[in-house]
Amino acid sequence: MKAMVQNKRFLSEKLCTLTLTGDEGITSASPGQFVMVKVNEAFDPFLRRPLGIMEVDGNTFTLLFEIVGRGTKMLAQKNVGEELDVLGPLGKGFSLFPSFGILVAGGRGIVPLYFLASTLARTGIPFVFLLGIRSREELPLLDFLEKFSPVFWSCEEEVPGGFCGDVVALLQQYLSSVSLPVGTRVYACGPEGMVRALCRVEMLRGIPVEVSLESLMGCGFGVCLSCGVEKKDGKGYYHVCKDGPVFLLSEVGL
Amino acid sequence: MNLAVSLGKMKLSNPVILASGTCGYGKELVSYLDLNQVGALTIKSLSITPWKGNPPPRVRETCGGMMNSIGLENKGVHRFLEEDLPFLETLTTRVFVGIWGKTIKEYVAVAQELEKARRIDAIEVNVSCPNVEKGGATFLEDEETLRRLVAEVRSVTGKFLIVKVGPQVRDWGKVVSIFEKEKVEAISVTNSFPALSVDVEKMDFFFHLKFAGLSGPAIKPLALKMVYELLCVTALPVIGMGGIATASDALEFLLLGARAIGLGSYTLVNPSSALQVLKGLEEYLTRKQIDDINSIIGKVR
Ligand SMILES: Cc1cc2nc3c(=O)[nH]c(=O)nc-3n(C[C@H](O)[C@H](O)[C@H](O)COP(=O)(O)OP(=O)(O)OC[C@H]3O[C@@H](n4cnc5c(N)ncnc54)[C@H](O)[C@@H]3O)c2cc1C
Ligand SMILES: Cc1cc2nc3c(=O)[nH]c(=O)nc-3n(C[C@H](O)[C@H](O)[C@H](O)COP(=O)(O)O)c2cc1C
Ligand code: FES
Repeated sequence: MKAMVQNKRFLSEKLCTLTLTGDEGITSASPGQFVMVKVNEAFDPFLRRPLGIMEVDGNTFTLLFEIVGRGTKMLAQKNVGEELDVLGPLGKGFSLFPSFGILVAGGRGIVPLYFLASTLARTGIPFVFLLGIRSREELPLLDFLEKFSPVFWSCEEEVPGGFCGDVVALLQQYLSSVSLPVGTRVYACGPEGMVRALCRVEMLRGIPVEVSLESLMGCGFGVCLSCGVEKKDGKGYYHVCKDGPVFLLSEVGL
Repeated sequence: MNLAVSLGKMKLSNPVILASGTCGYGKELVSYLDLNQVGALTIKSLSITPWKGNPPPRVRETCGGMMNSIGLENKGVHRFLEEDLPFLETLTTRVFVGIWGKTIKEYVAVAQELEKARRIDAIEVNVSCPNVEKGGATFLEDEETLRRLVAEVRSVTGKFLIVKVGPQVRDWGKVVSIFEKEKVEAISVTNSFPALSVDVEKMDFFFHLKFAGLSGPAIKPLALKMVYELLCVTALPVIGMGGIATASDALEFLLLGARAIGLGSYTLVNPSSALQVLKGLEEYLTRKQIDDINSIIGKVR
């Protein structure tokens, strides 16, 4: 679909949001799904870029991305009124009916979890949102969470109001302070290191953890098999774009 | 206007073919294009047992193209016949199926399994994958082994037989004479180019197997040269591919004499691009007031 930029906002030097108007296709998007964005009409950069869907309102949807390389840099240069070629929504998202949700986001991992939180809030399902940021620069991400409660956040730098450390340490602190209802699920998205660290959290034993993974992608719709992530049993690969990007932490080998 | 072409006895409704490994098992593309509108689709190369392929990373973008190290991951011929053939049976277009093995015996076994499926129109023997340690392009390194492979597959299949080659071919004359003698009916050229990329942050090779296959617009001029040289030494029909993204790219191959063209990497970027290429071919013929696409094939020699 063609999607037109309605709004662009820089949250910091490296974080940018784009709100786009597409077609009805996007209205069916569910939390955890993503789109494949062509950053220009040329053959270079050649491939589309996978980006999570943060918010959907009718035909309008919002992306939030970190500028890490050529593609995201070019995307951040788009102006209101310009059109982008977008495929999606793609992939399988989060399960939506826990009795209680623990949402754990690291940095830009906030994207699918913000969408999930909005959906849970709408259906009246209680949850807690834990956000980890690396530095002060990412503080504007906290603004998105104002409407949710409770929210706890951590920063790897010392910042007033935040837990000093990483988000997995914050999660451990949280887990040791509460008793969780039956049917609790953990939902996570963040850098590889954070996801690996989650595997080692003893207190999560017995609690299903759904994690949204990133991988390099050729197509995003299941034809190229570029996006392999090893199965836990070592017997082959899941494909992040089709079988995921959301997986049970217990089924993938990281 | 006539867009139908023939590869020897194989008739296609038009020259646009979806290349192996870039259209999955077919089904994945249905929400993006009507498969019956392409001349043929080529199923991902199948092996006799499921094959898990290479560890990630499996893809890296390059200037105007991409590198892949999928390593021929596939579900194996049996699961393919069970899970995907029923869908393919609902199509009216041509269905080609890629095959590969680590040994000649494995190639033969896959061909035998496919023989039972009447819906499958052609077998494409992949002897040019750069991303596996055994099998794939290693068969292009030794002419006697290549001859045995082709002869043995030929002896078990009555289906239209295509061999897919790549830049590893050292002597086109020799390879072509093997294909002609062993009754190969068409040649696909080219597979991706063995290439290399370094991860400067990790100070290591980017891909585990070091080399990976380069494809996309970046390779088009190289692929065109291969098609040209191949057509200097054979009258066998050639399916030209490598870097095609637009009708104009496709026309370059057709004008050189390819009877059909394969669309590979660009389908990953624009899953409905085959239809745009087709439309562009029609527009070109209209503009040039040519009513049969066959009259331009081989015009540039
Ligand atoms: C399902 C999915 C959802 C994603 N959602 C978001 C999101 O909501 N917001 C966001 O900022 N980013 C998201 N990403 C990551 C994003 O796709 C990459 O950061 C982006 O493609 C980088 O493009 P580039 O051209 O700027 O960087 P490049 O120049 O291509 O690469 C720069 C760096 O980014 C890494 N990178 C490249 N492609 C990917 C990729 N597909 N996944 C992870 N790392 C990559 C490279 O390894 C390299 O280190 C998501 C990835 C996936 C797979
Ligand atoms: C992700 C990917 C997977 C591929 N898998 C196969 C395969 O299984 N069998 C095969 O014969 N060729 C395979 N190829 C090669 C393509 O069919 C094609 O020959 C090559 O990429 C050149 O064409 P292109 O530049 O249009 O992509 C693959 C290519 C890509 C990019
Ligand atoms: S990115 Fe192509 S199959 Fe997942």
